[in-house]
Amino acid sequence: MSIKKILGIVWILMGGAIIPFIVLRAIQEIGEKPTQDNWIFWSIVLIVLMPIIALSMILFGWYAWQGEYEMIT
Amino acid sequence: MATTQVEPPPPQVEETSSIQRVIIASSVGTLIEWYDFYIFGSLATIISTQFFPTTNPTAALLSTLATFAVGFVVRPFGALFFGRLGDLVGRKYTFLLTLIIMGGSTFAIGLVPGYATIGVAAPVIVIVLRILQGLALGGEYGGAATYVAEHSPVGRRGYFTSFIQTTATLGLFVSLGIILITRQSVGVAAFNDWGWRVPFILSVFLVAISIYIRLRMSESPLFSKIKKEGKTSVNPLAESFGKKENLKMVLLALLGATMGQGVVWYTGQFYALSFLQSVCNVEYVQANTLVGAALLIGTPFFIVFGALSDKIGRKWIMLSGMLIAIIAYRPIYTAMYEDTNIKNKTEVAEKTNVAVKAAMTGTDSVITATTLKTYTDGTSYKEVKTETFPADDAKKAVLAADKKLAKPVIKKEVTLSAGGFWLMVFLVTIQVLFVTMVYGPIAAFLVELFPTRIRYTSMSLPYHIGNGVFGGLVPLISTRLVLATRPAPDQPPSDLLAGLFYPILIAGVCFVIGAIYLPNKSHDNTME
Repeated sequence: MSIKKILGIVWILMGGAIIPFIVLRAIQEIGEKPTQDNWIFWSIVLIVLMPIIALSMILFGWYAWQGEYEMIT
Repeated sequence: MATTQVEPPPPQVEETSSIQRVIIASSVGTLIEWYDFYIFGSLATIISTQFFPTTNPTAALLSTLATFAVGFVVRPFGALFFGRLGDLVGRKYTFLLTLIIMGGSTFAIGLVPGYATIGVAAPVIVIVLRILQGLALGGEYGGAATYVAEHSPVGRRGYFTSFIQTTATLGLFVSLGIILITRQSVGVAAFNDWGWRVPFILSVFLVAISIYIRLRMSESPLFSKIKKEGKTSVNPLAESFGKKENLKMVLLALLGATMGQGVVWYTGQFYALSFLQSVCNVEYVQANTLVGAALLIGTPFFIVFGALSDKIGRKWIMLSGMLIAIIAYRPIYTAMYEDTNIKNKTEVAEKTNVAVKAAMTGTDSVITATTLKTYTDGTSYKEVKTETFPADDAKKAVLAADKKLAKPVIKKEVTLSAGGFWLMVFLVTIQVLFVTMVYGPIAAFLVELFPTRIRYTSMSLPYHIGNGVFGGLVPLISTRLVLATRPAPDQPPSDLLAGLFYPILIAGVCFVIGAIYLPNKSHDNTME
């Protein structure tokens, strides 16, 4: 099995792990200090950054695992 | 008798003079769009005092949104909207439209009355205009890169599109230059009052010239060909992102190229300036001048690396830029900090001057102590400490309750010696060189990844997510990471370089994905 395929699993796991990591961190920080700055920062991270990273990593990993990138050289 | 027919040259091959016109028309417009976009960011502090007073919480919230939202939310939407339009009706009219929207909204920002005149309507109007700017920018770059690439001959695409790649840096350079010239011409007080509007209003003349040039250009030959043959896409969005064959390439472009390129770009140009001003306390004009000098020195290398990518391929130039940046960022920023750190310098004690001034503001006494120091290497340091002593009991109680408010306000300013200045120019130039490596070949790389019928849509989205979201968030996340190293909220951060962790991490992941999965496109590559 090629490295491209095997790493597909790694990207899927990374994408999946980012979600609870960021959500828990956001809950903790906003809970400790519910300031407007905190809310804005974590809203941006949760609504914009996290979905892009998580979804793209999972989907990319899935395609890699399926061998979609095997022919690209 | 058999006859030999001489085939006409392929539609993407054009005469050099024609390509030069194409490059000029595309680059000038794109440069102006970047200029328009950056003057808002460069003047953010003044704009916030004019339109977003902190005394009004709604306005303060809008200020934050204006600064960040457009960069990472609106640009990808602009990429989708105008990318689709460009694949349906053509490149020429689409990026003409983005230019008009950008120019119009920039000009209008320069005319909007301040918060003091029309109240909360002022920040709302500015936000709407800023959103229009972001949408236009989202549509512009992909159009210009596609348009130039589709005119370029095979084997020179990296070289020709690299001129488009210089425009973002030159746009920043021009915006810094015009702001500094205006500020010097009218004086700091007048500039803060009304002079800041000049760079915005000036935009309308630049845009008018660019529109005139672009109107005279013809449609891209590759797009014209597929349109004539009836092969244009009926639904570019569905074809780009709804089909696995293309979506997998969009994801690869994002995760293996543009997200790393975006953070390297923003770190090398914006974070460097912000670090100089807020961490190193370098004097405003000097900080802008030295970054401007570094941009000017580094800019030709976009073309060098673009041309080189035609010979040896795009992939390893871009990835090498990322890797060197990852390794070099911390040493470079350490050197930048040490170059301005007055603790490393020897003070010329007899030149030290302290002046104390007392004044009354309403019923409050305000004591201002100004300290001027000179060091043996020629560096000078100015510290202005302002402390307020209220007579009012209620104010005293507020100050007693809030330690932050009770603290004196200290403003530090370091003016580097000639040697220190040029060392700093060198350190920023190295970062600009990383930018040129990752950014110089990327337009050619992206256009070659997608077919003509959906190229505008497909390449614009990963580009603007990589730059708008991953890159645009560098200031926000990096500042946050630095603040997180404070042992207590009222203490200074323990690691001033912690902000580099974000660009290093993103560029690192991007490097690994790019190295393993990216194709190495080069001169032998034709476009469908």
